[in-house]
Amino acid sequence: MEHKTELDNQGYIQRSLLDKKEFTFKGFFLQWEWMLVIILIAVMIINATLSPYFLNYPSLRDGTMTFLDKAFIVFPMAMIMILRDIDISVGSTVALSSVVMATMYNSLGVPMELAVVICLVVGALCGLINGLLIIKFKELSAVIITLGTMILYRGIAYVILEDQASGNFPEWFGFFGWGYVYGTPFVLILFICVAIVFGVILHKSTFGREIFAIGKNPTASRFSGVKVDRIKVIVFVLAGLMAGVTALFLTSRMGSTRPNVANMYELDVIAMAALGGVSTAGGKGKIIGTVIAVFIIGYLQYGLGLINIPAQTLLIVVGALLIFAVALPKVRLPKIFRKK
Amino acid sequence: MSEEYVLELKGITKEFPGVKALDNVHFRLKKGEIHALMGENGAGKSTFIKVITGVHPPNAGELFLNGKNVQFTSPLDAQKNGIAAIYQHVTNYPDLSVTENIFMGHEKVHKGTKRLLWKEMHAEARAILQDLGSSIDPKEEMGSLSVAQQQIVEIAKAISTNAKIIIMDEPTAALTARESEELYKITERLRDQGASIIFISHRFEDMYRLASQVTVFRDSKYIGTWGVNDISHEQLIVAMVGREITQVFPTKTNKKGEKILEVKELGKIGYYADISFTLHKGEILGLTGLVGAGRTEVCQSLFGITTYDRGEVFLKGKKVKIRDPKESMNLGIRYLPEDRQLQGLVLDWSIGRNIALPALKELSRKGWLSEKKEASLAKRLAEKVNVKANSIFDLVSSLSGGNQQKVSVAKLLTADLDIIILDEPTKGVDVGAKSAIYEIIHDLAVQGYSIIMISSEMPEILGMSDRIVVMREGRITKIIEQKDATQEGILEAAMSESKKVEIG
Amino acid sequence: MPENIIPNATQVDAQIVKTSKLASLYKFRELGLLAFIIILAIAVQLRNSSFLSGENINDMITNTAILSILALGMMIVLITRGIDLSIASVIALSGMITAQIVSANQNLNPILVILLGIVIGMVAGFINGFLVSKVGLLPIIATLATMNIFRGITYKISGGEWVSSYQMPESFVSIATGKTFGINNLIVIAIVIYLIFFYFINHTRTGRQIYAVGSNPESARVSGIKENRILMLVYTIMGGLAGLSGVLWVSKFASAQGDTASGYEMTVIAACILGGVSIAGGAGKISGVILGAILIGILNNALPLLNVSPFWQNAIQGAIILFAVIMNTLVKRGVDRNNLMRRKI
Repeated sequence: MEHKTELDNQGYIQRSLLDKKEFTFKGFFLQWEWMLVIILIAVMIINATLSPYFLNYPSLRDGTMTFLDKAFIVFPMAMIMILRDIDISVGSTVALSSVVMATMYNSLGVPMELAVVICLVVGALCGLINGLLIIKFKELSAVIITLGTMILYRGIAYVILEDQASGNFPEWFGFFGWGYVYGTPFVLILFICVAIVFGVILHKSTFGREIFAIGKNPTASRFSGVKVDRIKVIVFVLAGLMAGVTALFLTSRMGSTRPNVANMYELDVIAMAALGGVSTAGGKGKIIGTVIAVFIIGYLQYGLGLINIPAQTLLIVVGALLIFAVALPKVRLPKIFRKK
Repeated sequence: MSEEYVLELKGITKEFPGVKALDNVHFRLKKGEIHALMGENGAGKSTFIKVITGVHPPNAGELFLNGKNVQFTSPLDAQKNGIAAIYQHVTNYPDLSVTENIFMGHEKVHKGTKRLLWKEMHAEARAILQDLGSSIDPKEEMGSLSVAQQQIVEIAKAISTNAKIIIMDEPTAALTARESEELYKITERLRDQGASIIFISHRFEDMYRLASQVTVFRDSKYIGTWGVNDISHEQLIVAMVGREITQVFPTKTNKKGEKILEVKELGKIGYYADISFTLHKGEILGLTGLVGAGRTEVCQSLFGITTYDRGEVFLKGKKVKIRDPKESMNLGIRYLPEDRQLQGLVLDWSIGRNIALPALKELSRKGWLSEKKEASLAKRLAEKVNVKANSIFDLVSSLSGGNQQKVSVAKLLTADLDIIILDEPTKGVDVGAKSAIYEIIHDLAVQGYSIIMISSEMPEILGMSDRIVVMREGRITKIIEQKDATQEGILEAAMSESKKVEIG
Repeated sequence: MPENIIPNATQVDAQIVKTSKLASLYKFRELGLLAFIIILAIAVQLRNSSFLSGENINDMITNTAILSILALGMMIVLITRGIDLSIASVIALSGMITAQIVSANQNLNPILVILLGIVIGMVAGFINGFLVSKVGLLPIIATLATMNIFRGITYKISGGEWVSSYQMPESFVSIATGKTFGINNLIVIAIVIYLIFFYFINHTRTGRQIYAVGSNPESARVSGIKENRILMLVYTIMGGLAGLSGVLWVSKFASAQGDTASGYEMTVIAACILGGVSIAGGAGKISGVILGAILIGILNNALPLLNVSPFWQNAIQGAIILFAVIMNTLVKRGVDRNNLMRRKI
C-alpha cells in the first residue's frame, strides 16, 4: 500500500517549500554582468591611455552619438536570440526604411513629419514579413528566411534609389542625430528609455516570461498555452520597428542616405547581444548585460576612432570581440567564475 | 576461472558531476547466452551499456574480454573488439542508404586506391539482410524504413562487424507483437551462431521468451544474477523495485455526473475518422488501443494542438471550435502530454516557474507578473499533488521521473477547469510512484473533474476507467463499461480488423 | 504491471508510402529545376535572340564557373549543418594578397600563384573550422565574426589601394582568360574540381563521413567518426576553394579591391538552397548544386539582356531565394497531405 503511506506522509514536503536560495555576495558578484563591467572599465582605461581626448565628460557624452543608433536593435535582437532564432536582415531593414523615408520626402513631396512615421512603419512591416514567413513556414529556419529578406530588402532599396544619395532634409530632422536635451544627447536619453522599457518587458512581464519559456522549450510552451506564433511575430515586428528607429538616427546623423547604409549592422548588433550574455542557444539573457555590451563595443570603436585607427580595423576588433564573447563562456574558466 | 566468460565486468563505477550513475556493479556474460539486464528507469542500465561500448570510460572497475583485461577508449575500439550495441532510440543516418548505415565505420575499400567498393557492400548488405529474413533494399534511404526495419538494419550492422557480443537496449519498445516475434527469432539465430547477447528490456515477456540469465540493477547498484527459471516473478519485482509492490488501484468513489463533453463524428484526414463519444462530470474515460491508433491525435485536436477537419465538439451542450491550446484552456480543458521532457516541462526551470507557466495571465495585472502570487500558487499546487522537493525554487531537472510527472499534473490544476486529458500519465514513472499518480487521478475525479486517460497499459486502463474507449487505426472500435470490460475484450477490439468505412 | 503492455502497432505501410513518395519528389525536384531553367532560357531567348548565341553561352558558363566552385564547398559545409558567411572575405583576402605578390614579382608562375591563393584560403578556412569544432561556436556566429576579420585584414593589407590590371602580368590575367584545349581555363578548373569532388564525396570514406556527421552527429560520434576532424576538413576545403576563387576572381576582373566580392556569400548560399541542399544538414547533391549555380548564372546574365536595370538584381535574387524555399516547402506539404488522404482509416 505504498501510495497510502506516501499520501499520509505529508511531512515529506518540507514546510520550507518557499525557501529561496540564500543570497550570497559570491553568487551576486559572479554574474556575467560584472565581468562586462570589468571589460568596460578596461576599455575605458585603454582608451584613456591611448588618447588624451577620450576621458572627459563631453567626449564620453558625445561619443555615444556615434554608436547608439544601431544599439536600439540590440534589445529586440536579444529577444529573438532568446527565442532561439536570429534575424540577419536588420541591416537591410535599416537601409530600406531610410531610403523610403528619404525618397518620400525628396521625390514624392511627403512632409518630413509623415516621412518619419513612414520610416518606422516600413521597418515594422519588414519585421512583420519576417515574422509571418517564419511562423507560416516552420520547416525553414529563421536564418534562411531572414537571409532571403536581407537580400530582398536591400535589393528594394537599390531599386528605389539606385546608386544615388538622398538628403537635404529639413533642419529640425538633424535633431535626432545631433540634438541635446538638457545637455544630454537626445539619442542617449531615448536609448536609456528604450532600454528600461525593454528591460521591464523582458524581465517583469508575462510576455517576457513567455519569451524565455519558448527559448527553453518551444513545444512545452505551446502545450502550456503560450501563443508561440503570436509572440514570435511581435518580437520580429519589434526588431523591424527598432531598425526603423535606427534608420532615423543614422539618416539624421549622416544628413543623407544611400542604399548601402547600415551594411553589416546585423553583425554589430548580434555581437553586442552575444557579448551581453544572450545565449546563442536560446533561453538566456539580460537587458542590463546587453546595455553594458553596447557601451563596451561602442566606446571601443569611438576610442579607436579618436586615435585615427581606420574603420577597417574596427571590423577586425568587432569580429574578434564577437568570437571572444561567445567563446569565453565555453572556455573553462577559473573556478570562481564558473556557474554551479 | 573467468575463461568461460566472454565478457566480465568487475566493480564498475561511473560518476557524472553530482551523480553516481553506476556504483560498483558486476556483470558476467557466457558465450552463446542471452542475458537479460533489468531494472527500473534510472537504474543505470543505459550508462552500463555505454561503459561496455567505450562511450563512457568508467571511473573505477575492470573489464575482461575473454579473460583479458581491456580498456576501451572509444566506441570504435569496442567495435574492433567485437562488441556492438543496438540502442533504444534507433541511432542511424536517415539521409543515407541502408548499405551505408550497415557499413558506416568499417566500409569496404579498395586496398590500393581506398575507393569505396559500393558493389561489394551492396551485395553483402543484401546477403546479410536476406539471411535475417528481410527483403529490405540496401539502396533504400534509411529514413524511409519503419522502426522495425531499422532495427533489423542495426542488427545487420552488428553482424557485418562480426560482433561476438551484441547489446540490445530495449529493442522491442516500439515494435508490434508480430515484429517482436521476428526480432526474437533473429536474436535466437544470432545466439545459435555463437554470439552472446545482452538484452535490456522493460518487458518481462521479452525476458521470459529469450533469456537464460537475468541480472538486476537498482539505483545504480548491482542486485544480483539469477537463472531465469530460478527466480519467481515476484522475487524479480522485489529485486527491481526494492520492496514488494502490490499495485492497488484506488477504490473508486467518483460519481458520474451530467454530460459535459460530446464529440460527434470528429475526423482528421489521414489520422482518425468518425470519432464520437461523450464524457461526463466526475468520470474517468479510458482511451486505449495500439500505439498509432490515433488516440493522441484525437486528444491533441480536442486541445487545439492540431485541428480537426470534420465533425463537431459540444462542451456543456454548446458547440465549440477549438483552434489553439490557449482557447481550449480557456474553455476548461487541459492536456498532460505524453512526453513530459519534450512537451511538458521546461527542465532547467524551477518547479514554481513550471507550474505557473500556463497561468501567467491569472498571476499578472495588465501584463505585469506578480512573483509573490506565482510562488504561492506554485506552493499550493505542489503540495496538492505532493511533489517531493525541498523548495519550489529547485530545478525540475533535479527531480525523479515520478515527481516531474507530479509537477506536470500540478500545471494542469492552475485554473478552474472541467476536463483533464492525460496522455500515458505513468509512462516512464517508477513502479513505486505510479500508485501515487493513480491516487491523484482518482482524487481529481472525485472532486468533479472529468478525465480522459490515454493508456497502453492494460491493468491501468482496467483499474482506473469508468468506461473504456478502444481505438484501432483511427477509428473507435468499442466503448465498454467498466463492469463489462475484460482484458481479452479490449485486446480484441484493439487488434481485430475493424469494419472499414470509406470516407471521402 | 508492465507485462501486460499492449503491443504497439506501427504505421509501417503508411510511412513507407509517404517517404518513398517524398524521395521520388526529390528526384523530381532536380528535374523540375532543370525544366525551370530550360523554360527560363527559352523565355529569355524569345525576348532577346542573342541570349543563346555561342558567345553568350560561353560567357555565361565562364561567369558561373567561380560561383559553382564555391557552391560545392558551401554544399559540404551545409551538409554538416554549418554555414560559412566568411567566404566572400576570404576571396577578397586571397585575391588581394596574390594580386599584390604578382604585381611585385611579375615573373611568378601562375600555378604557384594559384597554389598560394589556395593555401591562404585554407588557413582562413582552418580558423573557421577551429572555431566551430574545437571552440564550439555556432557556425553562423563564428563565420560572421571571421567575415569581418578577414575583410578588415584585406583592407589593412590593401592600404586603401586597388591593384589594377596594368599592375598585373599577362600570365596572371590569363589564368582566367586563357584557354586549355580550346576551353576557357575557368571552365576547365571548375570541371576538374567537380570531378574530384564527385569522387571524393561519393567514393571515399571521408566523403561519406561528411554526410554522416550532418545526418546524425550523435551516432556519427558513436560510430567512431571524428566529428571535429570532419568539421575542420569541410571548413578548410571551403576556405581552399574560396582562396582559389579569389585568385580566379582577381584574374578575371583584373582588379583587386578591399571590397572584392562583398556580399557574394549570399549568392553562393542561394545557389545551394536552390539546388536543394538542406540547411538542416545531411542532404545535398552535386547535380543539384550545379543546377542551382546555373540558374543564378542565367539570371545574372539574362537580366541585362532583358534591359532590366542592374539595380534590380539584388531584389530579384532575394525574391527568388524566398520563392524557391517557400515553393519547396509547399510542394512537400502537398505531397504529405496527399499521402494522408490516401491513407485508409
